[in-house]
Amino acid sequence: MASETTLGSGRRNWLPAWLAGDTVQGIRRQRMVLGVLFLLPTLIGLIVFVLAPIVVAVALGFMKWNVFRPPEFYGLKNFTRLFQHELVGNSFSNTFVMMAMTVGMLEVFAISLALSVHRFARSRLAYIFRTVWFLPVLLSGVSVAVTLSYLFHTDFGVVNYYLGVLGIDKVPWLVSSDIVRFSVSLATVWRNLGFTFIIYLGGVSALPQEILEAATVDGARGLKRLWLITLPLLSPTILFATVIDVIRLLQFFDEPYVMTRGGPGDSSRTTVMMVYDTAFANLEFGYASSISVILFLIILAVTGFQFLLSKRWVFYQ
Amino acid sequence: MGNLSRREMLQASAAGVAGAAAAALPGSVTLASAPSQDQINMRYQVFNVDNVQHMLSTYMELNPHVNIEAISVTGVDHQEVATKILATLAAGNPVDVGFACTEVTHLYAGEGLAQPLTPRLMDDADEFMEYYADTSAALSETMLYEGDVYQLMDNFNAANMFFNKNLLAEAGLEMPGKEWTKDDFYGMAQAMTGIDGSFGYGWINRFWGSWMPWIFVNDTNVLEEERAPGGEWFWDTFYAGDERAVGRGGGWRWPAPQANNPKMVEALEFVVSLTQEGLTPAVEIGGGTTLLGFFSGNKLGMTPAGGFWAGGLINSGLEPGSFDTQFWPEWKSQRHQLGVCGPWILDGGGQEDQCWDFLKHYKKREIQDALGHFTPLPLTTPTRRSLNTEERFGQTGVENWRVFYDTIDERPDTGPIAQPVFVVELTNIFTRYTGLATNGEQTPQEALDNMQAEMEDLYARNA
Repeated sequence: MASETTLGSGRRNWLPAWLAGDTVQGIRRQRMVLGVLFLLPTLIGLIVFVLAPIVVAVALGFMKWNVFRPPEFYGLKNFTRLFQHELVGNSFSNTFVMMAMTVGMLEVFAISLALSVHRFARSRLAYIFRTVWFLPVLLSGVSVAVTLSYLFHTDFGVVNYYLGVLGIDKVPWLVSSDIVRFSVSLATVWRNLGFTFIIYLGGVSALPQEILEAATVDGARGLKRLWLITLPLLSPTILFATVIDVIRLLQFFDEPYVMTRGGPGDSSRTTVMMVYDTAFANLEFGYASSISVILFLIILAVTGFQFLLSKRWVFYQ
Repeated sequence: MGNLSRREMLQASAAGVAGAAAAALPGSVTLASAPSQDQINMRYQVFNVDNVQHMLSTYMELNPHVNIEAISVTGVDHQEVATKILATLAAGNPVDVGFACTEVTHLYAGEGLAQPLTPRLMDDADEFMEYYADTSAALSETMLYEGDVYQLMDNFNAANMFFNKNLLAEAGLEMPGKEWTKDDFYGMAQAMTGIDGSFGYGWINRFWGSWMPWIFVNDTNVLEEERAPGGEWFWDTFYAGDERAVGRGGGWRWPAPQANNPKMVEALEFVVSLTQEGLTPAVEIGGGTTLLGFFSGNKLGMTPAGGFWAGGLINSGLEPGSFDTQFWPEWKSQRHQLGVCGPWILDGGGQEDQCWDFLKHYKKREIQDALGHFTPLPLTTPTRRSLNTEERFGQTGVENWRVFYDTIDERPDTGPIAQPVFVVELTNIFTRYTGLATNGEQTPQEALDNMQAEMEDLYARNA
């Protein structure tokens, strides 16, 4: 006790008066300050790297700035312009179409893969499958896109070569406005499937075996068991995976930028490409920020809508 | 703000967006020991740090108080490099000496980013007499903007025609002469198509190279061209008595778009017809490496490229002597398009004097001779005439290597691709509608009408 008193006395020497003292209030204040000190590094990181860029991006949306001259206040002109700008509307439409196609393919393939690989859960094959399917996630999006654009080349691509072997005419994967969004989505699915697959594999592994076994005893098999038992049990994982995928894919950039530069015409130009081009090609940083603010709000709304809708179909045990 | 240097202004105004732009920051390497208090630190942007090692080390040996950080910025094309440079600007972290090509020379000059070199050149005219005497007037002209010089140069490329000699031989053809025509080209493309699944001719949808050479030989351009007044000081000082300098002014101007003029439509109809007839593969977006791969794989008989392919094709595995080059075929004219590259100095960066001293070192013949993009293999064409030698290009097996510089000397009407200050956005419009015409979704006339409308809007916004 003597040593504590000494420590307490020592603390009083350098702590401000309102913080010093061994009263209950004093100790509470000391704990609060200590807590804040522990939180400070995280708070500073959050403010500097997350909140400040968001605030600056929103503020820039109301400015006119071309890098070369200081920003000037521009009111709501950027926002009124973007709602009349056909190209911006087109980029949002492309983004939603490609997001829907990609998410659709990702969820179906990833669930199917997870269920298949789970069958080998106790075998060494499971390690191999997990590793192999996850490998593309580790690759750079740009290098994958470059390689796939060679594979999808209309005249020299391997894909069309093998289609030709099967007697199928050349498909203009990247040069037809009707097909290009599908081609880009396919490339994106290939690279991202591993990530979604791992999420579902975790979900499938955690499914309660007693319920599945009981369903089997009651005669539920095959697709019936999948539809009525497995998928409802997996629904919280499906919600999580789709929310993550929708957020990521509404920010589509690497694959369409490298494979098509938004073409042919503007048929694969996504909103983030539009933001990039507007800022760094057209030097309209304010306008680019206003588009990204709208994209942010849309992502927020879509995510909120997904959670709202989830009350109808997600089954929590 | 008046007392702030450009660097400080940029840093202050960009503090908040630094994070957003950080993704575009290039890698960098410091080529000297840690700076002391007396040292001057300079940031120098290049395409490839290895290529300038000798230049930097020799300069820093001569100037131990100078520490140069070479920053590598690469891109599919020069417009993409420019967007990355602008990203570093947005992050408040600009370079002191930049490296730019024709595509963005006017952007940097017009926006006040690059410093006019006119007073410095006039002060040091004697030192530069030999440099300009060794450089074609057509190349130097591209470095002028509204009467002032903004860049020095070390390399250029005009779009010549490259031939795959393996396919040429299999088709029973020989290399054409300099006077060959568009009809000769068409016949050769037909003859080389179909040999082991190859195509007679191939090109990529971009700005330099693409179908631009056909636009030039059809005696037109996507934008109207005119020469700015001024620049007499430059021509009188460095090119007095040079016939090829007569009539040149203060730099090129592109006052209005003319994308849908009849000659433009005719040129686009021609290249689209090549695709429709199966002489050209599907025209996709991309950079030079895409063509390089297909050409090296004996899939393309002819393609547009410049001196950069002499070493580039060897590096990609072609045997020396298996390819050659020639002027672009004559149509209504035989005017070629070109692009020129060199360094510029950041205006207001605070270290302009030291940067200028560095550029005086940079322009020396022996320094340029040792640049990594010329030695050991020529990966681009030197702007100094005397560096275009048999020794340099002979090792690539390109028999007609003289064509690279003859394109400038024998065809002095050869001019730069259009480079207004809003060139990056212009390029996007150009490639967008080119793609819609080549894939058949719009007729050449429709595509060029739409291109013209968007370019007019672009000009109006930047008026």
